[in-house]
Amino acid sequence: MARLLEVVTGHLASRTAAALTGYEQATVTMLSLLLFVVGEESPRAVARRVEENGALRGLFAQALPAVRDGALRDRLETLAAGTDDDLAVAALDATNAALRAALIDLHAHVEESEGAAARAVEAAIWSELRASTERRHVSIAPF
Amino acid sequence: MADLQDRLRAYAAHRLPAADEVVVQDLDRIFGGASRETYRFVLSYQQDGVERRRRLILRRDPTGSLIDTQRAVEFAAYRAFHGTDVPVPEPLWLEEDPRWLDQPFFVMAELSGFESSPQVIVAPPFAARAEDLARQKWSILGRIAAADPVALGLDRVMEFVEATQCWQRELEYWERRIDEDEREPQPIVRAAIRWLRRTPPPPPRRVTTVHGDYRTGNFLCDAAGTIHGILDWEMAHLGDPLEDLAWSLSPIWRWARDERAGGLAPRAAAIALWEAASGLVCEAAALRWWEVFSAVKGQAIWISGAREFDEGSNHDPILAVSSWLMGNAQDRAALLALGHLA
Repeated sequence: MARLLEVVTGHLASRTAAALTGYEQATVTMLSLLLFVVGEESPRAVARRVEENGALRGLFAQALPAVRDGALRDRLETLAAGTDDDLAVAALDATNAALRAALIDLHAHVEESEGAAARAVEAAIWSELRASTERRHVSIAPF
Repeated sequence: MADLQDRLRAYAAHRLPAADEVVVQDLDRIFGGASRETYRFVLSYQQDGVERRRRLILRRDPTGSLIDTQRAVEFAAYRAFHGTDVPVPEPLWLEEDPRWLDQPFFVMAELSGFESSPQVIVAPPFAARAEDLARQKWSILGRIAAADPVALGLDRVMEFVEATQCWQRELEYWERRIDEDEREPQPIVRAAIRWLRRTPPPPPRRVTTVHGDYRTGNFLCDAAGTIHGILDWEMAHLGDPLEDLAWSLSPIWRWARDERAGGLAPRAAAIALWEAASGLVCEAAALRWWEVFSAVKGQAIWISGAREFDEGSNHDPILAVSSWLMGNAQDRAALLALGHLA
């Protein structure tokens, strides 16, 4: 798959685009960029989602003692006990969305909480957010 | 394209009732207009026994775009700054009646033969003139901040805002866009929004015209290092001038893939140029607020573009590429501005 995308991307960028001009040339160049990014993403698509879902569950489990809101604690506890049984990307994305939505609520909650435990959770959240951007890193992006 | 050319000819003839033999030729779409369809064309006609010929630009609203904007505001910005020390193309006609070209549009003069692509501008031969380009880029931005929007007549088309409300109005607008368009939770941008609300900036000394998308890529220059026109005023509004400065300094525009702002100049040099031209002082804490805000606004734009592409209202690949390429960079920019990225 990666080799196929590499060949198609190269063909579009170097041959097809070169045979065109103006808007069509730029569009084909843009499509080749899109395929390059797909080629970068596809080998890691499942692995990075599984890794992130596991990291978030671990973070939630560690955060539970610092969570004073009962409903949020129950929700985090349930999510922390989850597993990724279905490795289809769509299923992993649905789980990831539920986990990241809970992460937003946990983050807002500990920001308003006092004490060392809350600060430790906050630090762990920022660390996970940094890691989340590294997992999604696009090599040709300007930053 | 032939149909559009014919309809454009009919419109030009309507706008030039004293002209004969009105002809539209060489209509060609320009890539990159994520918020408007942009075309160049040549208009020729006879008037008063003289043959006239102009290279023009058509900017037409698409059905879906990265940015929902009012073309009247953009047109007014071109009209206000044309002929001043802020170089812009001459605006000609604004048309909001969809009977002509299905969507509202405007026509302006083409500044032909110049470059706007950021990837080209940071590469040879333009790269050798990066210092010249930087000097003009941030000096022009300073002059936009120094200009009185009331004297320019922009207060008649741009919504009034109190100095104390600049930050809140912008933040509410872009947060609403994220609320409406996000397809998945955005923990970094949500944390940034909470920080922005907890840490409001001081009001600007004066409310100014804000370009709204001032960056390398939105000006036309030559290889000798001269900027000939500031483009893409579709997000122009009245507000805090630091909003533009912060946007121009965002790391997501580091096209040269080094630390230089916009691929052109060190951050401190850019700020100094802006201060000298604007007569304003860039207060660090306020600038930081607007830099975090820039990350939120940028992410809102990528999120909206992704939604339009996914829903099929606009299948221009630039929407998919920019959302994918820039979305993650924008999150990293937010982390950097918030002090959580080394």
